[in-house]
Parts: sequence; C-alpha cells; structure tokens
Amino acid sequence: MKKITSARISQLLFLLVFLVLFVNTEYRGTDNISAAINSFFRMDPLVLVSYLAATKSFTSLLLPAVLTLLFTLLLGRFFCGWICPLGTVLDLVTKRIRKTAPVRLLKGNLKYWLLLPLVVSAFFHINLAGILDPIAILVRALTFFLYPILGDGVRRSWVELYHVIGERRDHLAPAYGVLHDYLLPFRETFYPLAFLSAAMFAAIVFIERYESRNWCKNLCPLGTLLGLFSRFSLLKRVPAALCSDCKACRSLCPTAFDADLLQTDACLLCMECQLRCPHHRVNWSFRRGDYLTGVHVPERRVLLGGLVSGFFLAGTFRFRKPEAQAHLLRPPGAGSEDDFLKKCVRCGECMKVCLTGALYPAIAQAGVEGIFTPVVTPRLGYCEYNCTLCGQVCPTGAIPNLPPAPKKRAVIGKAAFDKNLCLPFAKRTNCIVCEEHCPMPQKAIRSEVAEEIDFAGNKIEVQRPYVLEDLCNGCGICENVCPLEGKAGIEVFAVKDKTPLKESVFVPEVKKQAAPGPVDKREGEGQDSEALPPASPVKGRKDQVKPAASDPWNGGDDPYK
Amino acid sequence: MKRRSFLKFLGLSALCHRWALAEASAAVQPVVAVAEGHDYAQITRNAIAAVGGMKRFVKAGDVVVVKPNMGWDRNPDQAANTNPIVVRAVVEEALKAGAKKVKVFDRSCNDERRCYVNSGMTEALKGMKNVELKYVENERFRKVALKGKVLSEWELYDEALHADVFINVPVAKHHGLTKLTLGLKNVMGVMGGNRGAIHKNIDEALADVNSVLKSHLVVVDATRVLTAHGPQGGNLGDVKALHKVLASTDIVAVDAYATTLFGHRPEDISVTVAAYKRGLGEINLKKVRIVRA
Repeated sequence: MKKITSARISQLLFLLVFLVLFVNTEYRGTDNISAAINSFFRMDPLVLVSYLAATKSFTSLLLPAVLTLLFTLLLGRFFCGWICPLGTVLDLVTKRIRKTAPVRLLKGNLKYWLLLPLVVSAFFHINLAGILDPIAILVRALTFFLYPILGDGVRRSWVELYHVIGERRDHLAPAYGVLHDYLLPFRETFYPLAFLSAAMFAAIVFIERYESRNWCKNLCPLGTLLGLFSRFSLLKRVPAALCSDCKACRSLCPTAFDADLLQTDACLLCMECQLRCPHHRVNWSFRRGDYLTGVHVPERRVLLGGLVSGFFLAGTFRFRKPEAQAHLLRPPGAGSEDDFLKKCVRCGECMKVCLTGALYPAIAQAGVEGIFTPVVTPRLGYCEYNCTLCGQVCPTGAIPNLPPAPKKRAVIGKAAFDKNLCLPFAKRTNCIVCEEHCPMPQKAIRSEVAEEIDFAGNKIEVQRPYVLEDLCNGCGICENVCPLEGKAGIEVFAVKDKTPLKESVFVPEVKKQAAPGPVDKREGEGQDSEALPPASPVKGRKDQVKPAASDPWNGGDDPYK
Repeated sequence: MKRRSFLKFLGLSALCHRWALAEASAAVQPVVAVAEGHDYAQITRNAIAAVGGMKRFVKAGDVVVVKPNMGWDRNPDQAANTNPIVVRAVVEEALKAGAKKVKVFDRSCNDERRCYVNSGMTEALKGMKNVELKYVENERFRKVALKGKVLSEWELYDEALHADVFINVPVAKHHGLTKLTLGLKNVMGVMGGNRGAIHKNIDEALADVNSVLKSHLVVVDATRVLTAHGPQGGNLGDVKALHKVLASTDIVAVDAYATTLFGHRPEDISVTVAAYKRGLGEINLKKVRIVRA
C-alpha cells in the first residue's frame, strides 16, 4: 500500500468539497445560497482570462482566480496537482488503466492550438473557454448525465416500493427523506446534451490508457494556461534533470519527465519524486533567477496560427436561425445576447440550481457556438417569481446576482397568445389558467368577458385573456401551465428590448373603484404602467369587491406587523 | 364492503347513540360558525367548538388529513395561502381529539419547496409530533371513478381518500375565473393530472369531485382575504383583514356565507350554485343557522 501524500490528502479534500458544493447547488429552504457554491469556477484562471479577453473588463467575482494565478507564478501548477477535482478523479482511476504508448498526435503543440484560439476568439466576442474548461466538463457530466440518472433510479425504486408495499412504505420514509433532502436532486430533470457531456468526460478518462494525466498534460486549456505561468515559478526542483545513475523519476513522475529535463510547465507539484527518491537527493526550494528548466514555449508559428484561427473561429459560427432566436430566452437579468455569450462559461451551475428545471443547455438554438449555454424553456419549467438562485451561483455575472425586486422586473421575454390554439378563442370555452398563475401582483395577463355563440349555437359568455406587455417579465409560467398538450396557447418570445419593468408595477396601488361599463382592452396596451386601467377591465364583472363589513384594514392590529 | 369501511361503520354505529340527536338536528339545519377576533388560533378553536368540537369528527386513533391552500409562493401577509396560525390550530385540535396522525399537504402551483416555506407552514408545524407535512408524491394519485356530470374519472390523492377524517381548510380569496375560491375549489389541491383542463367546466367538475371526496369539516380562513388579483395576489393593497374564521360541516353553506364577506350573493358564485344543485349542501343562508363564536 502506497503511503498517502499531502498532495493526495489535499486532492481528496478538495474533491470532497467539490462534491458537497455540487450537491448543495440546490434550493434548501432559504432564498440565499452559500457564496462558496461556485468557488471552483471563480478560482479558475481560464474563466478569468477568457472573461478579461471577452469583456475587456474585470469583475470582483473572479478575484480568487487572480490569486490562483499569483500562486501559480510562485509555485507552478499546484492547482492541477493539489486542487483540480477532474485531475483527482484521473489520479484515482489511472492506476487501474493499463497504459500503452503515448499518442504522438497529442504531443507537442496541440494544447496551444486549443488554448490560443479559445482565448483569442473570446477577444473577438465569443467566449468558448467553458466548453473545454476541466471543471465545467466535470460539472456538466455530473449535472446533465450522472445526477439525473442517479436521482431517477432511486426515485423509481422508491415508487416501485410503493406499488409493492403501499402505505407501509411510510415506515421507510425518514430514511428516504434524508437521502432525498441531502444527497439527491429534488427534481429528476433530464437534460439535452447529456450524452455529449458524459462522452467528453469519458473521453478524458479513456485517453488515460495512453499515459497518465494525458488530458492534463497534453490537452487541458486550463493546464496549458497555468503551464505558461509556471515558467516563472520560484519553487524549483533540484536536481532539474534525471540523475544519470538512477532515472527513477521517469517512472515516478506522472507528467513532467518525458525528456531528461523536468518540464516545469507540465509538473503538477505532486512531490512524488521527492518522497520516493531512492537516494533522497530530490529537493524543492524557492530560487530566484534564471533557472528555466526544459520549458516548452509555443513556437512563433503556433502562436500566430492560434491568434489567426481564434479570430476566424469567432466568426465561423455566427449564423443564427431566426425561428430559433424567437425562443432563445436567457435567464433573468442577462444582458443582450452578445453580452451574455461573452460572459457565460457554460459551467452548468444555473441549470443545476434552477428551482423548477426551467434552464436547459442550448443545443443549436444559440448557434453552434452557443452550445451548453442556458436557455429558459417555459414548457418544461418557468422562472419562479421569488427565486434569485441562478444569479447567485453564476461565477461570472453573466446572470447578474439581482436582489428579488429587480429580478422580478428583469425581462426574459414577452408572452403572446396563439389564438388558433388558446381555448377561449379556438374552442370557445373558459380556461384562463394563465391569468390564474401570472405572478405579477397586478396581473400581466387579464381577461375580458365576451359574448360568443358556441359550436352548438348557444349564446355563451367566455373569458378571453390578453397580455399587458408593460407588466410581463416573461417568466413563462403561463406557457408552462397552459392545459393544452404539446404546444401551448401562450408562448414567451425573446425580445431585444430588455428594459426592466417599471418599479411602479410593484407599488401597491391605491385601490380605485372599478370603472364599470365596457373597457376596450386595447387601452391596456402600450400605455404607461402608472396609468394602468382598473385591475379587471371586464365588462359587467364585479370582482373588484369590497368586504361587506366596514373596512377593518388598518395594519395596526395586524398579527403579522 | 372493504374491511376498513366495515370497521368504520361498526365504530360509528357504536357511537351513534351519543350523537344521534346532534346529528339529526344538524341534518335538519346546517350550522355555520363565525368566529371573529385578533387571536387567530383562538377564533379557530372557537369556530370548531361551535360546530360541535373536534371530537365530533376525530376519534382516537384516526388518521386526519388537513388540507390547507398553500399553492402559492406567497407569504402569510399576502393572503394567497391559508394562514399558518389557523392551520396549526386545526392540527392541534385534531391531535387533542386523539388523532393518531395528522397529514398536511397541498399540490402546489409554484415550486412546492418554496410554497411550503414561504406560506409559513413549515415553520408553523415544525417539531409537532405525529404531524406530517409532506410534498405530494405523484405515485399516490390514483384514478377514481367520479361518474360525475363532466368528469367520469380523475386522479385523486390516495392519502386524502384514505383518511378517516378530511378537514378542508381553504383561505377565502378572489379568483379570476370563479370570482371566489373557497372550500369547494380548495379540493382541487388533491387532484392529480392536468388540473387546468377542468377550468373549461369548472363548476360542474368541482361538484363532481366534491361529491366523491367529502369534506367532513370545512374551516374557512377569512382572517385576511384577497379581494382582487386572486388567486395569487401579491399586492398588499388587495388584502383586507377580516379577522374571521368560519367552520361548518356543510361545504356549500360555509362557502355561501364566506361569499357574503366579499359583498357577493351566494347565487353569484356558479361553483357554489352547481354544488348546491347536486345536493352537496345548503346555499340559502336563511335556512342556515349562523352561530357567532
């Protein structure tokens, strides 16, 4: 049995923290989620660099990543050997994978051909770094693939148990409750791209058969980036090269002794060489000065090639299908589509945390380059009125962390009826489930009574809904609850003008006496929200009623005040 | 006859002699108790006492379902859900009467986790022994033959059907389609499937469901009521504090009375009318004994 090293202890601790944070990326009865939830992404220098390149600005959210870079300058790629959860997973499985020879294709400059175009294309407006970010790959494999399947498996067994033993299952409910409350997803939401997410992770494990830490050493853009910084690292190994009489380091070292000289940009600081040196010769110490050892720098043509290909990459996939754009709804508070694509790192945190399972990774709606970015899909889940979780977990502020009030005013899109489907229009029956569910205190969906002749020829009254655009934030609950199967009678459409709703929308309006008599619904459209019509501009309806008793509302003796 | 119902029948007939008189008189004239005051727990107890006390409904060892409205992610101030103080008082009364277990649930419209917390129910029932506040589990819905006018069958919640006593605890509030939502409509919270689809014929559909799933006791929370923008509200300007709790065994009568608190006539609410026509209770308040408690 191998002795356990400090690096390994650190790795396991960070993996545990990572998993605990992952499981807790969920609503747990409080409106606020721990700020630590997204810490792995916020300390990720690849996220930082691509963000800087794309937005040409800095956000304090990514301060931890600056620290990681500073420490990398001091220590080298400690992040890869001591912290990165994907690296830890690889270290845990690699010993069980028999190695064949390293693949030549993966060697050399390939890693720069991955990193440079990613960063450069970020500079030209499209931030693709998240697609290959190791932590994002791991989180997506867990969120989209493993976790839903695991959760669904347990849920199914639990349901099966009910079908077998019925009410007696209640005796086991506390045990299941603990599992469900602390370990499993609340909803077993299935995601598109689950297969791709799993395949990316699986491929990284698969290439371990060629050499250990193959991904980290030869492909990972984060590792490559850190490798560039580690050139200047002050922590250095003595001796820098293999000793001619021993060369044990070559087999001890997982990454950095392809040549006779230690490749500092590949060294993960695991310290195996020092701990297991048969002659106790190896030492690590801080040294200044020009002591570069075996550093591999991208050649000029790779550098230039990376720059140019990044520039072209940024423009290659810019075609957008207009029909798909109509349903390209971004999470609440997200800026313009361009702005969102600059900031989003596709980490999957928002989709994991979304209360109702409203967010799904884009397949092609946002163009090929928008893959894995979150899209609100109202038919499957709506944006919960009081919830602000996605903004809280977003590591880059692509979804801003808005307090509840501004979040409610943030416009996701605008709802519109399809009168060919909507029941009161198409079937001349009552419905207005959408109005019932509309969370806006003054109702963005209202209805008016219309006289109709039903299909049997009888005179009837039907309540027909309509949307007040000034009040609609596009949360999508109307589309979600529409009782029609398949396509809903009301849908939320993306809008370019995402100006937040006016604050007056939420100010408790002083109660006006409902103006009786017919009110044309068109008055309600395109008007100032300050001058909203009475709450129910409905012919002949008396739902603006006053209690029969003299108004007891005075707030003072209210038990909740 | 199922074993459970046979036992229930046996137990009830044994107890019959004690309540024979009370039951007989109740059958003649429905009673609606109206309690008013600022101590909501106390007025809830008063209202229940005025319709014969919880012991009239709950026997030792009974499993009781208390069905509040907690369908919305709104806080108690906003009056979109049943007041947690009222619910807790009902639960306490049921336990005091000897209930083996009290189950509280609702099939919510917003995310159930947020609804249970924000409605104040989680906090109000925390730590109570033999009280279960659980989320609705889909597998517990089962198809029930309603043989009604518009619904021949529908999925209803097993725990509500199996309960010895079903106590319906709605909050009285405005509703866009049915004008008001009260006891009869609160029963929608035990319906599975695509509930929205019944809206096209909601009056008869609710009568169908209420004919099969009878509320043994209805406690209407009118402590704070929404007068507009229901059933969710969200605007405190739409909330009126009435400081009232109503109780009755007659779901139509208590809904009819609650209607008057909003300035409507019972006949204006088509849900109530449909239920009355089905013989689910008395809509004419002149034939109802109103007891101030």
